[in-house]
Amino acid sequence: MEKVLITGISGGQGRLLARRLLDTFEVCGVDRVAWEGRPKDVNVHQVDLRKRKFEDVFRTEQPTAVVHMGMVRHFRVSEQVRHDVNVRGTKQLLDHCVNYGVQKLIVISSSYVYGAAPENPFYMDEDFPLGASRSYPEMRDLVEVDTLASAFLWKYPHIRTAVLRPVNTLGYYVHSMIGEYLRQARVPTVMGFDPMMQFIHEEDVSEAIALALEHGLQGVFNVVGPGAVPISVAIREAGSQAWPVPEFVLRPMIDRAFRWGLVPYPAGAIDYVKYPVTLSGKRFVDTTGFRPLFGLEEIFHSVRR
Amino acid sequence: MSARSGWRGALRDLGGALLPLSVRDLERELDDRIRKVPTRLNEFGFDPWGLHPQTVRDTILPALALYKLWFRVQTHDIDRVPAGRVLLIANHAGQLPFDAAMIAMAMLLEAEPPRIVRGMAEYWVSQLPWVSVYATRGGAASGTPDTCREMLEAGECVLVFPEGVRGMNKLYRDRYKLMRFGTGFMRLALEAQAPIVPVAVVGSEEQNPGLANVGRLGRALGMPAFPITATFPWLGPLGMLPLPVKYHLYFGEPMQFSGAPSDEDALIDAQVAQVRAAIESLFERGLAERRGVFRG
Repeated sequence: MEKVLITGISGGQGRLLARRLLDTFEVCGVDRVAWEGRPKDVNVHQVDLRKRKFEDVFRTEQPTAVVHMGMVRHFRVSEQVRHDVNVRGTKQLLDHCVNYGVQKLIVISSSYVYGAAPENPFYMDEDFPLGASRSYPEMRDLVEVDTLASAFLWKYPHIRTAVLRPVNTLGYYVHSMIGEYLRQARVPTVMGFDPMMQFIHEEDVSEAIALALEHGLQGVFNVVGPGAVPISVAIREAGSQAWPVPEFVLRPMIDRAFRWGLVPYPAGAIDYVKYPVTLSGKRFVDTTGFRPLFGLEEIFHSVRR
Repeated sequence: MSARSGWRGALRDLGGALLPLSVRDLERELDDRIRKVPTRLNEFGFDPWGLHPQTVRDTILPALALYKLWFRVQTHDIDRVPAGRVLLIANHAGQLPFDAAMIAMAMLLEAEPPRIVRGMAEYWVSQLPWVSVYATRGGAASGTPDTCREMLEAGECVLVFPEGVRGMNKLYRDRYKLMRFGTGFMRLALEAQAPIVPVAVVGSEEQNPGLANVGRLGRALGMPAFPITATFPWLGPLGMLPLPVKYHLYFGEPMQFSGAPSDEDALIDAQVAQVRAAIESLFERGLAERRGVFRG
């Protein structure tokens, strides 16, 4: 039986994935926090990706496959810590994969790496340049993680490496920035803008990762859900109320509120609710036959206030 | 009909009351026609590019008034537009894209089956508040070749003005002279194997006579052009209002081209020239047939 190591296993998506893989894989994981009530045959190592002990996990567990989703995607820590955990942590992980004979690696990136810009075409494919750091410098570490993993893919072709870029992920368990955004009682939007947004359910993301493991995918893949709606519809369906604010007020407002810790996202995130970032999931569907199980209505229902 | 509420509903009711009965009757017919549009929508009523027929329905009144009362649009041979994927190629003029709106109205009101015309907007449009939203809900998408190809492959009717802003901001002395055509539309037609229907808009070229175009000022303001007309910028936004010219839309025979989309420019240029010539001959017919710039 293959043994898969999941980084960030105690997070919402990590737990779902662990449970999904339990029948077909031996599962272990690392996280900084414990997983209370985990299935008894899942081993969780409480270590920091940046620490030496992380390497010990590879030594003792000898995983054949690794799913790397233990990035810090929130802004509650300093930029330095984020960079350290995400970029250096990923680099360490890649080195360990080479040194400890890992055969399959899946890195969970996201649609955000493409960046939101007015000139974005609809339904971008995987070859579209990653523009997130242009107007959203706080995201550059995650862009770098994606780039590191994509370079690794070419450098070590004997390790089956897949970089997955799922679109806005919602669900009961997952903690995503977009989920937090939609669940606010009054959701600030940019007045006069209402871009199309794609969504996918957390269970479908787990399914996609499982498929990628089963197929031993190699390459970069967008993972797209059942469709797109304007952000105003998503807000309405999540049971919240849109609060359109003119951009020249919204930017300084979010900027301050973020610095005072009142909102969880910096002003750079505004572009994502102003311009569309829509992806083509064709490559992933063509290679794996993936079909999302959850429709848009179910997705929004899962985050309803 | 859905219940109306709030100031938007009130505004709409007021607008409706000001219009003659014929136009209001037509509005009722619209529901039926919009239902017949072959575009596929998701459970929230949107297509993948953000088209929302319900928004079209709710905001169509001004366009309907322009179509029926202001420009008194008359279509010729609209039945030549085939069902399924098709590229409409038209002349572009008149400072603001009323020509696009009128072609779209004609396709919705008079084509069988009714079609929602998909347009490729200048990408600066996507930076304009509200404009970007309503353009998208009405079927436009910021113009990249990939989006255009995907729309054609989904069986949509796509409108392209190969003259682009060169045409829209042409000067009065250049009316009914086609500016240089871009070649992108031909490569797309070849790639998607879509027929091309040439469309001549007669009337738009006189709707807001351009006296000069201060391109540099336009660029400084982040716009593709800065036209000087008899009324703009002197009268402010009011100066953007077009003259009540009579619009004639002439639809040509569908043209099917074959070849590789990656063919060299010389080959593509020759095919583009055929479309251009088709529009020019429709111009000839239209200008000979019309009784006057303003008269029907």
